[in-house]
Amino acid sequence: MLRIQNVLLNPGLNCGFDHDFLPGGMTVVLGRNQAGKTNLCRLIAGLSTQAVGELSLNDETLNKLSPQKRSVAVVFQAFVNYPNWSVQQNIASPMVAAGRDKAYIQSRVVELAEKLGLGELLQRMPNELSGGQQQRLAIARALAKEAQVLLLDEPLVNLDYKLREALALELRSLLDDSDTTVIYTTTDPKDAFTLGDDLLLLEGGNKLQAGVPLCVYQKPNTFAAANLMSDPGINTFAWSTLTDQTFAQQSQAAGGVSALGGVRPEHLFFVDKSEFNAEECIGFDLQVSALETSGDETFVHGVVQASNRGLSGHQLSDRQLSDPKYSDHKLPDPGTVNQPSWVVRSPGMLNFSQGQVLLVAVQKRDILAFGGQ
Amino acid sequence: MTSVSRWVLVFYCIYLLLPLYWLMTMALRTNSDITGKFEVIPSNPTLANFAEIVTNPVWYQAFGNSLSYVVLNTLISICVALPAAYVFSRYRFLGDRQLFFWLLTNRMAPPAVFLLPFFQLYSSIGLFDTPLAVALAHCLFTVPLSVWILEGFMSGVPSEVDEMAKIDGHSFPYFFFRIFIPINRGAIGVTLFFCFMFSWVELLLARTLTGSTTKPIVVVMTRTVSASGLDWGVLAAAGALTVVPGIIVVWFVRKHLVKGFALGRV
Repeated sequence: MLRIQNVLLNPGLNCGFDHDFLPGGMTVVLGRNQAGKTNLCRLIAGLSTQAVGELSLNDETLNKLSPQKRSVAVVFQAFVNYPNWSVQQNIASPMVAAGRDKAYIQSRVVELAEKLGLGELLQRMPNELSGGQQQRLAIARALAKEAQVLLLDEPLVNLDYKLREALALELRSLLDDSDTTVIYTTTDPKDAFTLGDDLLLLEGGNKLQAGVPLCVYQKPNTFAAANLMSDPGINTFAWSTLTDQTFAQQSQAAGGVSALGGVRPEHLFFVDKSEFNAEECIGFDLQVSALETSGDETFVHGVVQASNRGLSGHQLSDRQLSDPKYSDHKLPDPGTVNQPSWVVRSPGMLNFSQGQVLLVAVQKRDILAFGGQ
Repeated sequence: MTSVSRWVLVFYCIYLLLPLYWLMTMALRTNSDITGKFEVIPSNPTLANFAEIVTNPVWYQAFGNSLSYVVLNTLISICVALPAAYVFSRYRFLGDRQLFFWLLTNRMAPPAVFLLPFFQLYSSIGLFDTPLAVALAHCLFTVPLSVWILEGFMSGVPSEVDEMAKIDGHSFPYFFFRIFIPINRGAIGVTLFFCFMFSWVELLLARTLTGSTTKPIVVVMTRTVSASGLDWGVLAAAGALTVVPGIIVVWFVRKHLVKGFALGRV
């Protein structure tokens, strides 16, 4: 088992975190740019980095081992291969370094090349391959090392999206039956669901939350964690402005003192005023400002009206904004809370005109409450 | 291409090649022929001048002397510059930029400045009149140049390749000699070419630091002018032969030379 302790990913942090990576499974490390994902990978691989922390693999400390001696393989974001070696030599490289015998190397190279669709290309040089093939080659070489830990540092980011999806699924099936501990870093929350057995959320070098992706999705600890797992970003409102007092108080009682409400864009749906069910749902009046259509989905951007069904003239008071409990994690700045611009992610092609006011509803159980501990 | 620009090119090529052509025709004519009449195409060409060079020890030893210190200089330069350039391209350390620029300023100084100190130093430690003396003196100019050229090429190789090799489990020497140097073979070719050419045509240091036993070809050529009258034909033949090694080296590195120029380091 790979365990990290007291890890400070970015310089200037003063509080480290611990994490045990799921042995034999794939952990998706999700975070924006500068979240420390690459630093984490470099720390585990033993490359020069600003991150510090204690590492142990199967209870043996890794920190003093050189990268050559660690049982860690890496696929970098950029397609890194040895430009002067053919595909075959590239795949063979870690096995040659490990001093395997030639017959074994030969058969393993062919096997890996077949698996990754490079079987026909063994004699080519890396610069004669397409981007996708180059990244497959890098993956093949990483697999050839047969390391206990495999680090995939945003491996699919530089590929076009179709190739990305295809390769992500291939990766999943390639690694499913292995007992390698895989760490996959990404900025895309979708990857967490399609690839991850486990999820680690990072922001600004801090661990936000960890756990099974669906659990993290359903029960985010903090606003930052919820926002990171949401694409587009989460919609917010000030809790004190909820007009449904019974619901507001129930949830407050359950979750402590809540100050910020969150609604995921995909949980909002459009309803007719006559069909609105006030028992189960909370409704908001949304004035449409823009539409984004992608064929199967429509992103409706809009502003929540001041006088509306669900919220009363909602303001975060100054006292709440200066409350120290907000300072830990970034909250949306007060301007956007007071004039919330929301996004509704709705299936199908929708055709609304700009300025139209619509009723959007969300099931009460889907509303997230943040701010309390 | 318009006809005007084509003619401009033609004239430019003639302008460039004319001296070389004239050297070749002179090398193929006898002394009296050269001084006697003006000829564009030699009427009775002879190889006697070349025969003189390959049979007369003064000439062919001079070629040998030149080659020995040139090869020595090229080898020293490349062996010293490779690790230096690698460090400059991969590591940041205190004063790295300044050191790098200082290397370049060495290249700016005229060789004549160093004549006296080299002469005195080498005389006192017994290096005077050896190929090593000239080779080392030339290193003062070729090593900075080599580092400068190589650093440009090496910085073009992503440092992830170094890290990849580490992760694959290769030791540093294995990486450096089996992966990194082959990747940079073009750069090394270009560097060899520039070291070779500098050392091959450099006259001042070569003349000052050699005595009777290791006289290089450039020196023999200049001394022949002042010695037994002017032996035009043999001199031209020697000049023509002097150009040959340069052409051979250019032939081998021609592809990489273009890239070197494109990188702006040459």
